[in-house]
Amino acid sequence: MSTAEFEETATATLDAELGQRSPDAKIEMESRELSVWFGSRKVLEGVSIKFPSNSVTALIGPSGCGKSTYIRTLNRLHELIPGAALAGEVLYEGEDIYAPEIDPVSIRLKIGMVFQKPNPFPSMTIRGNVLSGLKLSGMKRPNHDDIVEETLTAAGLWKEVKDRLDHAAGELSGGQAQRLVIARALAVQPRVLLMDEPCSALDPASTLKVEDTIAELSKSMTIIIVTHNMQQAVRVSDTTAFFLAAENEPGHVVEQGPTTEIFSNPQDERTLDYVNGRFG
Amino acid sequence: MSQHTITYEHSGVRLEEIKKQSPLRPWANRTAKFKLVTALAALIPLLIIAVVYAFTEIPGAIVVVVIYLPMQIISAVIAALLVGGKNAAPDAVIIVLAIGATMLSIIIVASILFTIIIKGFEALSLSFLTQNNEYISPPTPLGYGGIAHALLGTVLIVGIAMVISVPIGIATAVYITEVKGKGANAVRFFVQAESGVPSVVAGLFILTVFILSGAITQSAFAGALAYFILMLPTVARTSEEVLKLIPDDLRTGALALGSTRAKTVMRVVLPAARTGIITATILGIARVMGETAPLLLTALTNDRTIWNPFGDPIASLPTFIFFNVSLPFPSAVSRAWGAALVLMALVSIVFTAARYFGTRKFAKS
Amino acid sequence: MSTGLDQKPRRLPKPTAFHRGDRVFTRLVTVAAFTSLAVLLGIAIFLGTQMIPVIQSQGLAFFTTTEWTFTFAMDESDEVKFGIFGMIYGSIVLALIAVVISVPIALLLAVFVVFLAPARVAKWMTNFIDLMAAIPSIIIGLWALYIFQPVGVEWAALLNQYLGWIPFFSVTSDNFIGSPFIAGWVLAIMMIPIVTAVTREVLDRTPPELVNAAESLGCSLWTMLRYVALPFGRGGLVGGVMLGMGRALGETVAVYFVLKLVFDVNLFRILDSGGGSVATMIVAKFGEAGPQELQVLLASGFVLFIGTLIVNIIANAIVNRTGKLKS
Repeated sequence: MSTAEFEETATATLDAELGQRSPDAKIEMESRELSVWFGSRKVLEGVSIKFPSNSVTALIGPSGCGKSTYIRTLNRLHELIPGAALAGEVLYEGEDIYAPEIDPVSIRLKIGMVFQKPNPFPSMTIRGNVLSGLKLSGMKRPNHDDIVEETLTAAGLWKEVKDRLDHAAGELSGGQAQRLVIARALAVQPRVLLMDEPCSALDPASTLKVEDTIAELSKSMTIIIVTHNMQQAVRVSDTTAFFLAAENEPGHVVEQGPTTEIFSNPQDERTLDYVNGRFG
Repeated sequence: MSQHTITYEHSGVRLEEIKKQSPLRPWANRTAKFKLVTALAALIPLLIIAVVYAFTEIPGAIVVVVIYLPMQIISAVIAALLVGGKNAAPDAVIIVLAIGATMLSIIIVASILFTIIIKGFEALSLSFLTQNNEYISPPTPLGYGGIAHALLGTVLIVGIAMVISVPIGIATAVYITEVKGKGANAVRFFVQAESGVPSVVAGLFILTVFILSGAITQSAFAGALAYFILMLPTVARTSEEVLKLIPDDLRTGALALGSTRAKTVMRVVLPAARTGIITATILGIARVMGETAPLLLTALTNDRTIWNPFGDPIASLPTFIFFNVSLPFPSAVSRAWGAALVLMALVSIVFTAARYFGTRKFAKS
Repeated sequence: MSTGLDQKPRRLPKPTAFHRGDRVFTRLVTVAAFTSLAVLLGIAIFLGTQMIPVIQSQGLAFFTTTEWTFTFAMDESDEVKFGIFGMIYGSIVLALIAVVISVPIALLLAVFVVFLAPARVAKWMTNFIDLMAAIPSIIIGLWALYIFQPVGVEWAALLNQYLGWIPFFSVTSDNFIGSPFIAGWVLAIMMIPIVTAVTREVLDRTPPELVNAAESLGCSLWTMLRYVALPFGRGGLVGGVMLGMGRALGETVAVYFVLKLVFDVNLFRILDSGGGSVATMIVAKFGEAGPQELQVLLASGFVLFIGTLIVNIIANAIVNRTGKLKS
């Protein structure tokens, strides 16, 4: 099956699924035939995925298949690595975010990101971290106290830190720090939130809290999450894309569709093997 | 094997015993023979030279180097052959020599510090720290006149040098680690080359460009410019090391929030590196604080207290020491020792501060 | 798998292209970063131009002769002569003496810290070595003048008494004060912490797997040093010694206190009173120099600058190369 055909089928399945799930299945973001290079090494080839509004999309696949690289192209962080290059298009609300006149900084403001390792700014307080996005991007929003409470509540951290907002962010545990970082990303009101294995450095209890947060957030924003944990993909996501890279070949999407389909009834044998834990 | 496990699990007494275990290091235990031989190998040569030194006229220096050292090596080799076999003999020689080298350096440093403290305290008094030399002449006995003007001069010169070199040093490090400019390798090379510039050459350079040209006179500012040349490489290189330790997560984290590069550096990276940058600054200060040669060319000295860093020649601790030692008056030499004690105390404070901030930086991350 | 997608990478604008603040920031930082280059070029140009009149009046004799006219005592009609050969030669001799003394001590010190001392002692020693490096040279000079010189003179006399048949230890007079031997020791004391610090780092970075392998083969400390650690760190050691030598060449005041400056070449009698040093000569002559002599001092500074620059560049190249091999 060629990519194009496969892409068509996948999109068809996706559309059908979305049709019955949510009537306003608007596509918030999509990548078209996206290929990515590090120097002369091609790490991703022809990735086309659509991300519907207010849904959670999980990107799964073994290590080194390019998931993390892919997610970084969606808010133009990839290009900060020396030697990085790409081809194809990434559309946000129908517009190519790599168009020459687009300021990458404005894109990152609309498409927030949470990383694998919690990275609160050590020189700032908890409150300072939440509001840091406003300061760094120069975005003006009134009522900072409300923003702090709102976003920390949304991230499921408010109750734990409301009495020590002026303490150093370094005091927080890994799980708390990760939720703080989520609150920080929410404060600039992004439309899309990218999450690169947000729970891989966390203990099980913190992981569940973050997953609850994701479920809550997905009611009002589009979430794209890279995960190694297949149970997590099943628990949190509506749709799933499976990435795979053969040895010394660029990564590509093998299969995508509604999460239930991918996990219970995959079309591709490799997907079946992967979701059943036979490799990866 | 399995029986063992059973006793372990079922015998309460055994479990109690195990709970009482204290940590041991069986590999560090030495046999009685080893201890005895080592002790003898160290003691016998010492005893012999003690006797030689006490009952003969041979100079102490010869006793130590020509008699004691070879004897200690031989006795260590014999000891090694007795307890460790043939292979241990070269090690015994290395151990003796390494301990000898260590002792020698400790003796040298101890002698320097001890001398400064003993001789320096003779001159030290409240008036020594608070007065200048305006109303005394070099033969004036101790108790009158002091180094306040030189202390102020050192503070002014180092302070101005710091104000210039810290921002430029940090910017140099930022260029290498954050901007990652095309010239990063070249810049690193130039900084390294600059760190090898002899201090007297730095002084000559400032002398030619700023003083002989008539732009400024010999003053605190001119001295500070010379210090700046010496300080910049230390600040730049230490800052570079520090910035490299800042995890990339913080940079991408800030960029992902819609930050520009300038704001990422100024508001996230540099604040996160704060203690490291303080360390870099302190190391820079330590590098220049005792430098004498450049000030002899660019700041000269003065007996009066000078507050204006631009107008007049100014005294500093190093040049104060330099000029007073050269004078044929015991009280002037005493003042030099007093100033040396104060300078060494300042250096020690700066050194300790650098340690303090240096270790804190690592404790945090 | 190849899908036959024939895509060309897209051209992306510079990350700073959209923000004036970023462009200004980048430009400022770039300008500041090249300050070091500006300083080096400045030294080369401003001191280098002082070379021209000196060479015009003195010719190559500036480098090859030892005659020095004392300008304050001369008649106006006299021809002035300035030759710094004795100084250049003296600087090199001093640096070599310092290397010969400091390198074995520094090596042994580093071996002690890295392989022999218990962890707590090693940590203490590391701090101690750093403290030693932090002692200002003027203080070492002061100490050397009053405390070390008498000891050094005693040593020199003994060396001459028993080893005087070796040309190096022969003397022309019984005055042992202000000899290159003593000044070399002072420089060695200043070099020890520098060389030890580099050596310690180099030994520390011997790959643990090699050390473990040597130990599991039953190697003694000596064989481990001889066949693993030293060959592995050789480049770093040479570089470290050269860095220290660069510092020794440029050292001024510590030498000023203990070296009797003479313009004649002291060829090899290192115990004899009197020697040369370019750096010290500059400071010693500065106070009394007239315009022409000052020009000569500046030109001497240029010679010193070029000499130390070359030593340092080679040293850094060696240290950096071995550093890269390891990481």
